[in-house]
Amino acid sequence: MTDAQTQGPAGEGTEPDPRFTFANERTFLAWSRTALALVVAGLGVVQLLPPFPGVPWGRHVLGVPLIVFGAVVAVAAYGDWVRNQRALRLGRPLPRSVMPWLLAAVITVIAVIAAVVVLVSALR
Amino acid sequence: MTGPAGPGSPAVPGGPAVPGGPAVPGGPAVPGGPGGPGGPAPTGPGRDGPEDLDPGLARERTSLAWTRTALSFAAVGAFVLKKDVAAGLVIMAAAPVIWRLGRLVHHRPGQLKLVAATIVAVALVALVVAATSG
Repeated sequence: MTDAQTQGPAGEGTEPDPRFTFANERTFLAWSRTALALVVAGLGVVQLLPPFPGVPWGRHVLGVPLIVFGAVVAVAAYGDWVRNQRALRLGRPLPRSVMPWLLAAVITVIAVIAAVVVLVSALR
Repeated sequence: MTGPAGPGSPAVPGGPAVPGGPAVPGGPAVPGGPGGPGGPAPTGPGRDGPEDLDPGLARERTSLAWTRTALSFAAVGAFVLKKDVAAGLVIMAAAPVIWRLGRLVHHRPGQLKLVAATIVAVALVALVVAATSG
């Protein structure tokens, strides 16, 4: 191992430009804040919304998946950071992340479920 | 030693930046050096403006991102505090720890893993609070 090779997430490759390392770190932190926002949103739905008439489980159906997804986002963000950092160290193209697609999909599903809960509540 | 500086070793003019080492003359600022997220800005000839000290202000923006993340933890803690005082205080106590993590320069993967683990723990606390609330 040469002096240029230092230990990183993968313990391989060379130290990349610090600006790229900083950018990767900021991306991870941004996803972390997104994860915290999802947790708070889920908690807010459960605690702050008034109960849906006729749908007593409505708040938990909406809130609990948001909280769970917040934890998933935090773990996935770390995985993304490790993969990106490894690609930077090896000089390879950055891998594509599924997280933006996943976030959009989950929010869409939650919105649809929210609409259903509201409709069911209104009909009862 | 012919390669670039290792952690804590002196700077190599024109060489790549290395975490733990001081800033490289003519090169970008490095985490852990005198201009690292928690350290003072390097000084010397030819280092006048912010761009010379920190190209793209990457270091400063990263430091601010850590601060925002710490504030997010504090906000979550304050929210949880309304329903569960103990859990809320614990989460709020994590805020300065997270902020301090951003100032440290060594073991970066471990720091980020700790942030992710803390968020998972906060989510578990939130699940318990959600399950126990009417």
